[in-house]
Amino acid sequence: MRNSKTSRPALSRDHLALAAYAAAVVTATMIHRPAILAAALAAVLAAAGNKRREILRRAAFSVVFFNSVVSAAYLAASMLGGNFSWEYLALVNVRVLLLACLAFLFMARANIFKALSFAPALAYLFALAYSQSMALLGLLEDFAAAAKSRSIGRASLGRRYRLAAAAGAAVLDKAMHNSEELSLAMRSRGFFEGNDSDV
Amino acid sequence: MHIPDGFIAPQMYVPAYGLAGAMWALAARRLRESFDEDSIPKLAVLSAFCFAAMMLMIPLPGGSSAHASGLAVPAIVFGPWTAFVAVSLVLAMQALLFGNGGITTLPVNALALGLAGATVAWASYRALRNVNENAALFAAGWLSVNCPALILAIALGLQPAIASTADGKPLFFPFGLSVTLPAIMIPHALVGIGEGVLTILIYRAIEKRGWTAS
Repeated sequence: MRNSKTSRPALSRDHLALAAYAAAVVTATMIHRPAILAAALAAVLAAAGNKRREILRRAAFSVVFFNSVVSAAYLAASMLGGNFSWEYLALVNVRVLLLACLAFLFMARANIFKALSFAPALAYLFALAYSQSMALLGLLEDFAAAAKSRSIGRASLGRRYRLAAAAGAAVLDKAMHNSEELSLAMRSRGFFEGNDSDV
Repeated sequence: MHIPDGFIAPQMYVPAYGLAGAMWALAARRLRESFDEDSIPKLAVLSAFCFAAMMLMIPLPGGSSAHASGLAVPAIVFGPWTAFVAVSLVLAMQALLFGNGGITTLPVNALALGLAGATVAWASYRALRNVNENAALFAAGWLSVNCPALILAIALGLQPAIASTADGKPLFFPFGLSVTLPAIMIPHALVGIGEGVLTILIYRAIEKRGWTAS
């Protein structure tokens, strides 16, 4: 990144949020008492303020499938094996929900692109990858919508494979085209001048 | 396929961060040797491609579908180190921007999907392409799903052995290898067939546009 040594930003609120988030996650995986983790979950939700419902909803939604499968399988296996533990079930579910809430609280409170600015090339890469991902996701959605509008009834398995392959190839094509455009844009703005790339 | 936060013990994710960190540094050094000043935009769009490829659906019989891993094509076309860095970036993005996966499981997921999956796909394609290119592409697709699945099954299955209470109660993932191996590998062996077919079709489509193996 150009002038990365001289323009490195001072420690900001976003850097501190990233450090606090990482420390909280590591701490949560070292505590094995459900009551303490439940208290930490309550504290996280309190810290979320008026976003607590949204954060809890998104966190619960993101973990519900994996946790339900693991919990149901554990319940069945341990009941049959005679070694069932409510404490384990509470521990794993509260911990996973706490970690998900921490992630969504971090996303709500901090700007991840600014939080990564201690490594400018990484922050730039992250921002570019995110914006390009959203663009390519839009292309995939367009493909899906186009395929749906051109199909009457359920498409055959072979046709669905051909559509998926065409979408994959179009995405790669678009990605490489965007790469060339981005390089030209960055070069025209002098991004690479005096750059000892640290990627 | 990747594991969410809370099921991997620090006894595993801390050393995994050490190993993944060393591999990321090695990958960055190798990319610097082969890439030019366009490395940042190129890596960014390849990451975006991997992200989008993971959103592709593998059609399954009966009208259902499963998410593709999308690893084999970038590994074959751009090489395993580039695919490793791109997939790692996607996993970090999913953890930090979308709340999928997690930061404690990031190194395990990155090593399994990004490093092992991409390397095995690339190596199997190169080993078999002179015998039969379609078979090589199918093997790359199938292995790019099943090699990471095997590593993740082992990582999860080891949790009761490395993180339990004194009386044997699990602290993280509750099931050992006797459960995780069949539970994860049998469905992935079937999904891998679809991934293999999709890899052939995507590679043939991009070949017509002038993109071929590195």
